[in-house]
Parts: sequence; C-alpha cells; structure tokens
Amino acid sequence: MVGVVIVSHSQKVAEGIREMALQMSAPEQKIIAAGGMADGGIGTDAFRVSEAIVSADTGDGVAIMVDLGSAVLSTETAFEFLDEELRSKVQIADAPILEGAISAVVEASLGSNLAAVVATAEGARTLNKC
Amino acid sequence: MIEIQVTITNTSGLHARPAAQFVQKAAAFKSKVKIAANNKVADGKSILAVMSMGLKQNTQITITTEGEDEKECSKALEDMIKSKFGEE
Amino acid sequence: MSGNLYEVISAVGEMIIGNRQKLTDLDAAIGDGDHGINMARGFEAVKAKLQGMEMESDIGKVLKIVGMTLISSVGGAAGPLYGTAFLRAAAPSQGKTELDTQTIGLMLEAAIAGIKERGKATTGEKTMLDALVPAYEAFQDGANTGKTVTACLELAYEAAQQGVEFTKTIIATKGRASYLGERSRGHQDPGATSSYIMLKALVEYLRR
Repeated sequence: MVGVVIVSHSQKVAEGIREMALQMSAPEQKIIAAGGMADGGIGTDAFRVSEAIVSADTGDGVAIMVDLGSAVLSTETAFEFLDEELRSKVQIADAPILEGAISAVVEASLGSNLAAVVATAEGARTLNKC
Repeated sequence: MIEIQVTITNTSGLHARPAAQFVQKAAAFKSKVKIAANNKVADGKSILAVMSMGLKQNTQITITTEGEDEKECSKALEDMIKSKFGEE
Repeated sequence: MSGNLYEVISAVGEMIIGNRQKLTDLDAAIGDGDHGINMARGFEAVKAKLQGMEMESDIGKVLKIVGMTLISSVGGAAGPLYGTAFLRAAAPSQGKTELDTQTIGLMLEAAIAGIKERGKATTGEKTMLDALVPAYEAFQDGANTGKTVTACLELAYEAAQQGVEFTKTIIATKGRASYLGERSRGHQDPGATSSYIMLKALVEYLRR
C-alpha cells in the first residue's frame, strides 16, 4: 500500500491532517506527519521529511503532500538522503495539503499504485466546497 | 445490472469519512458502481467523484451496480448507508 | 588556503548572525521577512555543533556537517539551498586539510550547481545566484592568471558585491519575491546579500 507523508511548516498542522486522514485509512496504512523543526519551531526540515518517507514506505512507494514554499525544497532535498531504490518511488503531489492528503489516503487504501494516488491527490484541487 | 434507491440519513451526508467508507466498500467488489443524484452521476469507486457530488442528509440517491457480484455489492452499499455509517 | 577552518566558519557565522536584522529587513521588503532570523538560527546551530564535536581537520567532512546542520535548522528555503551548497562543496574538498585555487574553484562550481538544481533557478532571477555566479567567475579569472587564493577571493568578493547591486535593478522571477513582480525592483535580494556577507567574512578573515 502506498504511504502518505504530510510536510508542513507546522507540526500541529501536519499532525492534525494526519489525524483526519487516519479516520479514512485502512488499518495497515502508513500516514506519517513531518511538520515543523526538531525544536518545535515553524519551518521544514529535510531530515525529518526523509525519516518520514522511510517510515511511510512499505514497498509500494510514498506520496508526499506539502504546504508552502520551502516545504517543496526540503522535500526535494530529503530525496537526496534516500537510497536509490526508494528515491525512484516517491512523488510530491501538487495538491492542496489537506484535501490532497485525505484523497490520497482513500485512494491508497483501495490498493492503487503511486501514480494513481498522486493523481487523485492532485484532482482534489478541483473539489468545490459550496 | 441492479438499481436501488436509497436516502442518505446520516447527519454529515456522503462527505469526507462516509464518502471514504463508501468508496472503500465499493472498491472491494468487482462490479462497476455508479451513484446518481441531483441530475449528476459519479463513479462510486472514485473518492473525488463522490465528494464532488456534495450529497447531503436526506438526499435520495440511485446506486447502480453492474458485474458478477452486483447483488452483493448493491446490498453492502445499501446496508452501509442505512446504518448511517456508524455515525449514530 | 590555510588558517583554522573552524575560525573561518565561525567568522562567517558571526557575520551572518550580526546581520540578522539587516537580512530580515531586506526580506521583509520583498519576501516573508524571515531570512535573517532563519540564517542566524542556522549558523547558531552550526556553532553549537562544531563546538560540541572533536576537532576534525578534513575540510570536506566539516563542510558536510555544516551543510547538514543548516538543512535541519534554518527552516526556510535558505536551509535546503545553502545546505545543499555546502554538501556539494564538501565533495571536492573531501580528505583535504588545505585548499588551493583549483579546489576552491571546484567547490564553488559544485555549490552553485547544487543551488541551481535545488532552486530550479539561474542568474538574472534576483536570487543568491546573482552574487555567487559572478563571484565564481571572478574567482576563476583570478585562478587562471595565477593569483593567490586570497587575491582570487578578493576578486570574488568584489564581484559578489556588484552582483548584489545588480539585484536592485531587476525584478524577481523566483521565490516569494516573484509575487511582487515589478514592485520587487529597487530592492536588493536578501539571498544574494547573505551570499555576499559570507564571502565578505571569508575575505576579512584572510586579511587579518
């Protein structure tokens, strides 16, 4: 099953999104929050992200949801710390972080592959709210 | 092909968690699943399609299942909606 | 280049920390106003890291530690960018305890390539590259004509200073400042400025 990593500048945001996503996940599904800095401050930390990716992978790859700005840079930097095999099966979704995470988690719970999970997360951009 | 009509009775409607549960249940069957309501039709195995329907409480929907396990699939989805997704 | 590597890094760190407010003010004008705070936090962490470890003479190893520390402590976009730059510069200096112009040229080249790759940026977009690329070119010109390391770094420093001035004349097309478009003109880029400050600290250390 494809894992999902949530990268936010805020630890609380990442954990909150994870908490919501867990409501919809399959029991064995991996959803890992990588928010904030090691000292709890606001920011993104490539090492936390790479550790989260490693924990989220069960062999089928990892879809990564990001918030703003440096979340993307830190995630791309995190890719450099992964071994080559894992690096070939991680992907950042160009999606709103919350809606993308929820959609990705549900898609992954169906047993879909990484490309499908990322596509569903990115499709969440078009969800109307009212 | 089996077509059933069922009314959504749980408070939050077919949103977020219930939508996810519906899609997960539908995907467990081989049959094709379609939801129709308010003149729109959605693929019952697509979370985005189901969430986009914006189905609220008291909406009557038509669920169409088609395939070798259409009967079981139809029954499972109907039961799930009638059980209010465990909300109450 | 000889001299104590720890002292050099410490000099660079102190100058960044000393310019915390200036970098933050520059960033507040066209970005989100955290560049000085983030960079200072990063170099405070570097200082603590180097003080807490055993003396290491392999320049590549030390630069790798600096890069890793910046990545995990800066927090903003500058963390992955400068962190990657230091990590890349660590490769050509691996196993070395002194640096000649050829090695420094390779280090600068690798660092710049890392920043370009990470930031998907090039010169003329109002970024740190507008200071670093001319600095590298000036350094190489000096190296090719047989100048000393210190003389080459002086040239690089002057070119970086002009690069910072150049960023005032252009609009940003990368990073958050790009949202401002035409309104970003007239402001000097905080990233180019922090790059220039690092070179300045390096040159001032060597002049002592």
